[in-house]
Amino acid sequence: MENLVVHNGILKTRQELELHYNPVKDSFWTRITKHKVFYIMLFPCLLFFLVFSYWPMGGLVLAFKEYGFNTGIFGGDWVGLQYFEKFFSDPRSSLYINNTIIISILKLFIALPFPILLALMFNEVQSNKLRGTFQSISYLPYFISWVVVVGLMNQLLAPNTGLINQMIEAFGGDGSTFFMMEEGLFFPLAFISYVWKGIGWDSIIYYAAIVAIAPTLYEAASIDGAGKIRQVWHVTLPGIAATIIILFILSLGDILSSGFDQVYLMQNPGNADVSETIDTYIVRTGLQGGQFGYATAIGLMQGIAGLIITIIVNKITSKKFGTSLW
Amino acid sequence: MSDSMAGTRFMRIVNITLIVLLSLTIILPFMHVLAISFNSGIDAQKGGITFWPREWSIENYIEVFKQENLMNGLWVSVFRTVVGTVIGVGLMAMAAYALTIKTLPGRKYITFFVFFTMLFSGGTVPYYLVLNELNLTNTIWVFIIPSLYSVIHILLFRTSFSQLPFSVIEAARIDGCSEFKIFRSIVLPMSKPVLATISLFTAVGHWNDWYSGSFFIRDPLLKPLATLLQEMLTRQAALSDILLRSSGTQAYAQLDKVTVTGESLQMATIIVVMIPMVLVYPFIQKYFVKGITVGSIKE
Repeated sequence: MENLVVHNGILKTRQELELHYNPVKDSFWTRITKHKVFYIMLFPCLLFFLVFSYWPMGGLVLAFKEYGFNTGIFGGDWVGLQYFEKFFSDPRSSLYINNTIIISILKLFIALPFPILLALMFNEVQSNKLRGTFQSISYLPYFISWVVVVGLMNQLLAPNTGLINQMIEAFGGDGSTFFMMEEGLFFPLAFISYVWKGIGWDSIIYYAAIVAIAPTLYEAASIDGAGKIRQVWHVTLPGIAATIIILFILSLGDILSSGFDQVYLMQNPGNADVSETIDTYIVRTGLQGGQFGYATAIGLMQGIAGLIITIIVNKITSKKFGTSLW
Repeated sequence: MSDSMAGTRFMRIVNITLIVLLSLTIILPFMHVLAISFNSGIDAQKGGITFWPREWSIENYIEVFKQENLMNGLWVSVFRTVVGTVIGVGLMAMAAYALTIKTLPGRKYITFFVFFTMLFSGGTVPYYLVLNELNLTNTIWVFIIPSLYSVIHILLFRTSFSQLPFSVIEAARIDGCSEFKIFRSIVLPMSKPVLATISLFTAVGHWNDWYSGSFFIRDPLLKPLATLLQEMLTRQAALSDILLRSSGTQAYAQLDKVTVTGESLQMATIIVVMIPMVLVYPFIQKYFVKGITVGSIKE
C-alpha cells in the first residue's frame, strides 16, 4: 500500500513515479529501430531529394568543366573560370542582369502592398456571402497557367481586333497599336498581369491572418479613441506582420529568377531588349543552345546570390521583427 | 445621420465598388475569350466582338476535338494529372506525417535536408542533365517522377498534421494499431481540408505545366495539352501546321473553306484547357482558407 502515490491527480506506483522523473533512455540504435516504420515512410522522400535536388547540385561542377556527351556531368576537363569570364565580358550580360533586377523589384516590393490592401478591403465587407463570392472570383487567375494568361493578353491587346484597341477606336483614337510588341510597355504589362494573377490568392492568405486577430484588440484601440485608419495601422498590420514577412522571405529565393514562365511567354521580337532575363538566357543558351557549361555557370551565380540574399534577410527580420523562416 | 456615419457609408460604397471593378477585370476577359471561341473565326477577324458572339458557331470546338494531337495531348494531361496527384499527395502526406513524430531520431537533420532544397538548387541545366542520365527525358514519367514531392506542400502537410489531437493517435497506438494504419485511417480522414487543398495545388500544377513538355520531351505524341497550347500561342508556324494538316496536304488556299482561324482555334483551346479547373473549383474552394496556414519552418 505504501508503494502508491498520487501524482498530478493520478494514482501511481513508486516505480512509475521514478520512471516519470528519470525516464530510462533507450540506446541510439534501439531508438532508431523503434522508429523503423517512420524511416520507411521517409525513405522515398529522401531518395527523391537526393536524386532530383542534390545530384543536380553536384552537377554544378559543370560550371568549371567542359561538358561532353560521352564524358557526362562529372567526367569532362576542367576549364577554370572561363565561363564566368565569358559571361562578364559579354556587354549584353549587364542588360540581362538589369532586366532581371527591375522585374524582381517590381514583383517583390512594388506589388507587395496590393494583396494586403485587398485583404483589408475584403475585411470591411459585412456580408459573408458577398465577400465569399468576390474572393472566389479574385483568386481564380491564380490557378490558371501563364500560358493561358499570356494568351488572354495577346487577345485583349491585339491591334484592331483586341478589346482594348476596340475601346480606343470607339473613343476616336488610333486602334492599331500592337501593345504586346511595345518595348516600353513590357515592364508595365508584366507588372499588371503579375498583380492581377496573384492578388486574389495572396489576399486570401493575408485575410486568414486578419481574421485570426483577437477582436478585443480592436475594442481596446477603439476605446483609446483610435479611428478606422489608426486601427488598421496599429492593430491589423502588426497582427499580420509575421505572415507578410514569411511570404516575403519565401519569394526572395526567386529574386534573381523573376519568374521564368511569365517572362519567357511574353517575349517577342518587339521587346527582346527588355524581356531577356537571366532565367530565360539560361534556358536559351543551355537547354536550347546546348552550351551546358556556360549556362550552368550563370545558374550557379544566380543560385548563390539568391541563397545569400535569403539568408541575410532572414537574419534581419529575425532580429528586427522576431519573425523568421527558420 | 451623423457626419461620421455618412463617411463610413461612403467608404463602404467606395470599397465595394473597387472590389466589383477588380472582379470585372477577371470576368470580362474570360467572357471575351468565350465569346470569340463560340463565334465563327472568319467573322471574328473583322473585329467588334466584345462579350457576346455575333455569328454563333461551334466549329472551333469541333476543330479542337478533331485535332489528333490536341486530343492526344488531352490524354497525356489527364494521365499525368491523375497519376501524379494520387501518388504524389500520398507520398508527401506520408513523409510529412513521419516528420511530425517528435521522438524520431535525426528529425531536425531530415527536415533541413528537405527544406534546404527550397533555398538552393542545381539550376536548370544540371537538373536537365540528371533527368537525361536517368533516361527520364522523352518518356511520360518525366511528368510524374520528378514532381512527386514539393517542399512547400510537405511543410503545409506537416503543419496541419502536427495540429491534430495527439491523444487520439496515442490511444490508437496503445490499442496496437500499426503506424501505417494510424496514418491511413486516423490521420488522413482527419485532415480533409489540407488534403483537398494540396491535391488541388498538385493537380493544377500538373495540368498547367507546359515547361517539362517543352524542354524535356521531343516526341510530339507525349506533349501535354498545356505545351501544345503554348506552342500554338508562341509559334505561329506550329499553328499553321495544325491547320494545314487538318485541311489535307493542300496549300493554305484551302483554309478559306474553313471558318476556323488560328485565333478562334486558340480561344477554343484556352477554354478547353480551363474547363476541368472550372469544374472542380466550386467543390474544393471551400477548403482553401481552412487548409492553408502559413508558418515558419521551425516549430
